[in-house]
Amino acid sequence: MAQALAISPTRMELMKLRRRASLAKRGHELLREKMDALIIEFFEVLRRVREVRAKAFDQLSSAYKSLSMCMARMGTIETQQAANESKRELQIEASTRLVMGVLTPTLEVRKVERSALERGYSLYTTSPLLDEVARNFEVSLRLLIELAELEESARVIAGELERTKRRANALEYIIIPRLLDSIKFIVMRLDEMERENFSRMKRIKAMMERRG
Amino acid sequence: MSYKIAVIGDMDTTIGFALAGVTYVHVHRDIETTISKFKEFISKDVALIIITYAVAEEIGDELDRALRGKKLLPVVLKIPDKTGYRPPVDEFVRMMRRAIGAEIVIREEAG
Repeated sequence: MAQALAISPTRMELMKLRRRASLAKRGHELLREKMDALIIEFFEVLRRVREVRAKAFDQLSSAYKSLSMCMARMGTIETQQAANESKRELQIEASTRLVMGVLTPTLEVRKVERSALERGYSLYTTSPLLDEVARNFEVSLRLLIELAELEESARVIAGELERTKRRANALEYIIIPRLLDSIKFIVMRLDEMERENFSRMKRIKAMMERRG
Repeated sequence: MSYKIAVIGDMDTTIGFALAGVTYVHVHRDIETTISKFKEFISKDVALIIITYAVAEEIGDELDRALRGKKLLPVVLKIPDKTGYRPPVDEFVRMMRRAIGAEIVIREEAG
């Protein structure tokens, strides 16, 4: 039994407790509904994560392959040199979005794929294989940005889901039982007082009859 | 607002992403410098930190510790390196188990 709160067994207190108990129950129902909605959202995001992830990682592995080819042809040092020379000013836009009352980040990028001229390394000294590598990595990067947004949303939603679950459980297993116990305690105490009073009355009546 | 991207990984990974136009790259050599670099990226105008699974695993808990207390940004994304290494237990399977309390296997949808 959850310990009865330190309360005075009065009708006033009883009314207050009953109101609190019904409020707690309603809150619990609301939290349950929120949880259901979050779970649906979570699975939806998760499904998309799997889709995008498969695509992104496939693209990435072919990008690595082309990089190895390019390094073999052009030489590791030269490839590295080209990477150092390339323009590295990719900008992404980040903002936030509300999903089921949870703030999730969004990442957006205007244009990842560039033409060979925009990349900044010397076309004269590099192999066309390098252009392919750069293109492959640009495509991967676009997919990875999308993936990052989805993954982070999933993470945030999962965190919120956990918090909601904890609150719902606290209400269900601790707060509501405790309130109900207190109500029971007061009801019993009030009944007991009534009975005491009743027998007291009887006794006084008997005494008065004997005297009178 | 516009932000930049950072990549932490082995030599090949960083070369590839540098070619794709990523602004900050760091080649992982030892744990200490990588962690300090990681913290530096967090405090910079970086919205996305890409890190390979292999490096993330090597750093281990320090990564989570560095991420504690961050705001919504930056987002950290783990990717396989050229060996294709991915941890056997997926992060999302664990997440699902914690959030829902059951492991749910999603079958590949046909088509």
